[in-house]
This record gives sequence, structure tokens and C-alpha cells, in this order.
Amino acid sequence: MNHIERAMASLGDEEVDRLTSYPIACGVNRKLLNGGKGVTYAEWCRDPKLFAESFVAGHKYFDFDFAIGLMDLSVLAGDLGANVRMDDENTPFVDKHIIHSPEDYEKLEVPDIKKGRSNVIIEGTRIFSEKLAGEVITAGFLEGPLLALTQTAGAERVFMDMFTDPSVVHKGLEVMVEFDRQMVEAFGETGCNGLVWDYLWANYSCLGDSEYNEFEGQSKYAGMLNKLTSDCGMAFCIHNCSDLPHLDTQVNDFKPVIYSMAYYPLIPDSPSAGEVIDQGYADNCLMAGNIDPQMFIRATPEKISKVTDDLCQEVKTALCKRGLKSRYCISSGCEVPPDIATKLENIKAVVDVTKEKGKVEC
Amino acid sequence: MKVSQIAGFLGSGKTTALMKIAEGLVNKGCRIAIVVNDVGEISIDSKFVEANGLEAREIAGGCICCQIAGSFAETLVKLHEVFDPQIVIVEPSGVAIPWGLKRAAEYSEAKAEMVIEHAPVITLVDATRIDMLLKAVRRLVETQIREADVCFVNKVDAATPEAVAKTEEFIASINPRAEIAHLSSVTGEGLDLVYEVIVDRISPRYDDAVEEELLRKQYSRRE
Repeated sequence: MNHIERAMASLGDEEVDRLTSYPIACGVNRKLLNGGKGVTYAEWCRDPKLFAESFVAGHKYFDFDFAIGLMDLSVLAGDLGANVRMDDENTPFVDKHIIHSPEDYEKLEVPDIKKGRSNVIIEGTRIFSEKLAGEVITAGFLEGPLLALTQTAGAERVFMDMFTDPSVVHKGLEVMVEFDRQMVEAFGETGCNGLVWDYLWANYSCLGDSEYNEFEGQSKYAGMLNKLTSDCGMAFCIHNCSDLPHLDTQVNDFKPVIYSMAYYPLIPDSPSAGEVIDQGYADNCLMAGNIDPQMFIRATPEKISKVTDDLCQEVKTALCKRGLKSRYCISSGCEVPPDIATKLENIKAVVDVTKEKGKVEC
Repeated sequence: MKVSQIAGFLGSGKTTALMKIAEGLVNKGCRIAIVVNDVGEISIDSKFVEANGLEAREIAGGCICCQIAGSFAETLVKLHEVFDPQIVIVEPSGVAIPWGLKRAAEYSEAKAEMVIEHAPVITLVDATRIDMLLKAVRRLVETQIREADVCFVNKVDAATPEAVAKTEEFIASINPRAEIAHLSSVTGEGLDLVYEVIVDRISPRYDDAVEEELLRKQYSRRE
């Protein structure tokens, strides 16, 4: 099977030659550019051509089954005016927020998405989607409204304001939703096959069901954005690397076609891959996970190969027990660290072991 | 290099306590670095740093451990290279999860010749605002208490005895294995215990704890 045949079969839970594989390798692909000398993160995330070329290079080098254009989680906040610290070799992040009082929420305005890094990620996604068309399933990546607001305002502030002054938080979220709406329509024009939403705060360590529903959930902002994603012709997908994700809301109510998640062995009730499948979340959705991202830096290739083999066995056993054929993608629980110390051979090992050990035979 | 986390929600008195603790440890002859959350409660005064022979670094208020792991690890490497502190006291954001920061600290071992060990995780809970915190951000406060090795009921000088008792009761209900003590940056109550926790005690490494837990689960599945 080629990548697209395998991915499409897995989405429909049909028989496959092996499980799909996609360690979420994004920023780390920049190390493959410039004849293997790499480019800095700062160069990579400001230039749509470099951004796109890295995904093409990553696909060729690692032989992934998907390509997902994650840049970082400060793209929208930066364009809204928050200061983004841009180190050469680390993920950029917001180091100065722009909300310091309840009144500041009302000053937020949607920026021009044809400028700034919003434009870089859209144009970059357009370029790699064109170049990889027919070879692999491609997707854009977008921060959900609550994530974009917490990146802009500071998470502690937003969580406290949800209680003390919820109306201003909603005003801020309305701006983020409009920003996201424009971004979805723009992604819809790029030719990418899907759009991956980062709805990080659907996390029981932070918010309960009612708070999540009030500030992002199905009946509020996310419901509209999820439908818009499909209406714009893209497969609706979610990535959530939180420790205790709201699986019932995000998988059963939102109904994404792909759901990517992490696993935290030290957190009681953090669901493992087998448990996720046992509990029925893969019945109608391609679940993806959950190799610890730190292994891509610190493990030996032998160690990460063993971990991948164990994950394949766990997933195959659970799929067979549940009567499923292929609805799990062997992936990382969060982005492969785009760190200079990340070992490319470890990324390759995950893909290669999945090729060797990922055949489901019930 | 030992990493000591002092966790707590915004307004819990973390930065004030951190400065007191750092000053006290320097006076005891320890070489201390501090890594503060630059969108936290108050800025660390550079004169304070100079006067106490500390090395300070800031990390963004990034609460998302996957995203800040690289920069945090690099901060530790730079501290190691230029200052070689015995202990790095870290003030994470109030929405950071302590084990996530442990994991990020251990990243630094891939970047330099250094071995990370951890002091027990300290969580400060503000007794003067306990009712409000439980209404507003209960889950976040619960998460930080659950992850703590030692919980300090903070601002005991300003809180009523009822509020202190309620805070203790809440901590015990969430994390029965955590040691509970009182702290006041104003009167100095509890500081000696903080010094002892940071200097003399050890908390498990993330790597080791994960291996142990995975093995436990593997064997329990077989049974």
C-alpha cells in the first residue's frame, strides 16, 4: 500500500499492510535543509518556503504516512501583539503578554492574516500541500481559541478571569474565534487535506466539563469552528497533548476523524493506547499516540525501537480485542522536540519498527 | 546539579518566598541560581541578585511543558556552564505540572555533561485566599497539591486560624502522603524546614519514576 492508501484505509478501519506511523516531526525537519546543515528555528518559522521544504524533506527522509504543518503555539498570539522569544534552536514562545487588565481584553483586534507568521504558516502549508499532493495526506495546524487567548493573555490570568470576570474572557474569545475563522477559510484554500486543531485546555487537570463547554466546547466556539473546518473541505482533526484529555467531549461529541494524544504513566487515569481503544474511542476515529517526546532526545535507537515495538503490540492486541482492524497511528504524544539534540535516527526508528512490527493479524 | 521547584498559583507568594529562601541558602554557603517565571508575580530585583551572589534566569510564563522544555533545559545548561550552581530554585508558572518540569530539567543532560537530581517538589497554598482559589481554579490547585512532596500553607501570618486549618484539611484530602507545614515570608516561620527539604532531601527522577511505573503496569497486566 502507498501512504495515502494506508492512511485512507486506516481512517475507515479497513485492513492495512501495517499500522500508519507519524511521529509529529515538524520543526526538527529544519535540520534536513541546507544540505543537512539545517537552518535556525527563527529562519524556518518566518519563511514559508523553508517551512514547506522542511516537510517535503522530512517526508522523503523518514517516509511518514502524514504531513502536518505544526509551527509552534505562539503564531496567533505573536500576530496579536504578544512578544515572542525566538531562540535559534528552540521552540518560540510568548514571553510578554498583552493583557494586563480586564479592559485589555476589549482592545484585542484580529490582525491581517496576510501578514506575520499567520501568513507564513498558511503559505507554507499551501506549498508543502502542493508538493506532497498524491504522495501523503497533508494537514494544516491551528491553535484553538482558548489556547490562542491564554498564549496572548497568560494562562493563569485567563483561568482566574474565567471566575472573576467571565464576560471579558468571552469578549477575548470572540476575537480569537473570528481570527480562527479567517484562518480556517485561508487553510481551506491551500489544498491541504485536513486541519489539526490544538484544543489543549480540554484537560481535567485544568478545567471540568462545564467550564470547558462554557469557554470553548461544542455548544460554543469549537462547535462552530469544527463545522467550518469540514465545510471548507478539510478533514477535521485534533491534537491534544494534555495529561487528562476530555475524550468524551473531544472524540465522541466533536467527532474528529483523527485524534492525537499523549500518555503520562505517572498521572493516575492518564489513558494508555490500549485503554483508549478498549474504551471505544477508536471505534469511529483514528486515534494517534503516544511515544514520550523526550525519548527522541534521550533514548538510544535500540531503546526507542523497543518502546515502539511494545506500543505496536499493545495497539494490535487492543484493536483485535475490540474488533477493529487499523484505527491507530503510531505517533509521538506531542511534537518531537525541535531541539538541536534530537536524534533523527530515533524518528526513523519509530517509522521503521512500525513498518516491521505494525501488521495487524487478529 | 539539584533542581528545586516551588510551585503555586499566581498570587500564592511564590516569588517573595523564593527570594527569602534563596537569600537564606546563600547565607548558609550554598551556591544558588534562581529561574523565575517572568510573567509571575513580581520581578526579581537585580540588586538583590548582586547582593546575594545569585545567578538569575527567567523563563517565559509558558505553561505548556512540551513547548518550553527546550528553552528551560538550555537555561540549566547555561547556568551549569557559567555558574555551576549546587541548587537551582525554579518558580514555574501556576499552570505548569511539576513532573513536566522534572522531565524538562532532565532534557539538559543530553546537552551537557551534567546529572540532574531533584529536591522534593514544594507547593505553596495561599491560606488567605483559599476559598476564592477553590472556587476559581480548584482543579489547578488540586493538580499542584497532588504532585507535591511537601505542601506549605503560605502566608500564615496573615490568615485566620480557620483559614489555615481549612487549607491543611484540603491539602490532606487531595494528597494524604504530602508533608504539610506552615510558611511565612514575613515572620520567617517554616523557612528552616524549607532549607532542609531543598538541601538534604531528594525526590525521584522523572525517568526512574516512569520506568518503575511502566514495569509495575506491565506486571499487573500479566497478573
